[in-house]
Amino acid sequence: MDEVSGLRAVAVLFVLFALVSSVFVSCIKGSDAEDVALSAIASAESAMGLAYDAVLEAEKAGANVSGLLDALNEGAEALSKAYISNRVGNFDNAIYFADLCGDLIGGVEAEANELRDAAAVDRNQRLLLTSFGSVLAVVCIFCGGFFGWRFFKSRYHRRALKMKPEVASNES
Amino acid sequence: MNLEEYKSVFAVTVLGLILVTAFPTVSLVLPFPRSEERFSELWLLGSDHMAEGYPFNVRGGELQGPIYVGVCNHMGCPQYYVVYVKLRNQTQPLPNATVSEPSPLSPLYEFQFSLADGETWETPVSFIVEDVSFEGNSSFVAGISINDYVFSVDLFSSWDSQQNGFYYQLFFEVWLYSGDLQVFQFHDRFVGIWLNMTRT
Repeated sequence: MDEVSGLRAVAVLFVLFALVSSVFVSCIKGSDAEDVALSAIASAESAMGLAYDAVLEAEKAGANVSGLLDALNEGAEALSKAYISNRVGNFDNAIYFADLCGDLIGGVEAEANELRDAAAVDRNQRLLLTSFGSVLAVVCIFCGGFFGWRFFKSRYHRRALKMKPEVASNES
Repeated sequence: MNLEEYKSVFAVTVLGLILVTAFPTVSLVLPFPRSEERFSELWLLGSDHMAEGYPFNVRGGELQGPIYVGVCNHMGCPQYYVVYVKLRNQTQPLPNATVSEPSPLSPLYEFQFSLADGETWETPVSFIVEDVSFEGNSSFVAGISINDYVFSVDLFSSWDSQQNGFYYQLFFEVWLYSGDLQVFQFHDRFVGIWLNMTRT
């Protein structure tokens, strides 16, 4: 009789242990998934920030960044879905969308940096050409002005010398 | 005109021509400040794409919308935005645009996007208020589904005897990414619609 009750107690304890451990494991698993999702989102968010900064720099340098903005938008949409999925507790989707965001904007920062450098080179060349053109034009105008003025002055003097003095009558 | 006057006219003309030819180079070297105001537009339109026809009397489980939320960038350069969608009852705080304070409520849905200067973004938003219950002078909303994502909200609203209804507000806040701080900051703009929860 005692053996049977002992076995029962062991069985009850085993079932209780199995239940508690399954709840504990699922909690730990859920918490792990949430941590992984948050970490993936933070990483995607940081990549988005860096990509946006690079695109902004490229735009300031004068590059055409419309293609890069499209890529940024695709990444931003995926990041939004990662945040939303995380809020509703769907951590697998959150991780998926955060990783997708990282993939979508993977090359944006490098491409933006290339465009920025190309735009800077282009700008320097344009500045050089424009400066050269401006200096040439200023020299031409200055020389033209100087010789034009000399020509005008000599013509003015010749005209002045050809002028005959007017004789006024004195009737009084 | 005598010769001295001609000389002055000549000198001024030459100087003017020199300034005109030097302008392209000067404009490349010196940045000219923009004088126009920098801001972002935010709007909310009803289902007919007009400023009318917004959902108002809402029953639990009924699909509402779409309403359209839009943003236009007039900030002078590309911007990275996030629009947060929040739900509140009459006692919970709205954003305070005068002191640049967003609503402290947690966002439910969100839209992130980047816009070039002068570019516009607009998107439809549909929602279903889930699990609405009434008890005496109170109503209770357990959740809301926005664009097919279901959020738990657990909001109470008391009967408003002046306006005759149980009121909640669905509102949209615009935040702007700050490259210096590397975070989104509230951009002092929000729009919202009032929802009167009605019994089925």
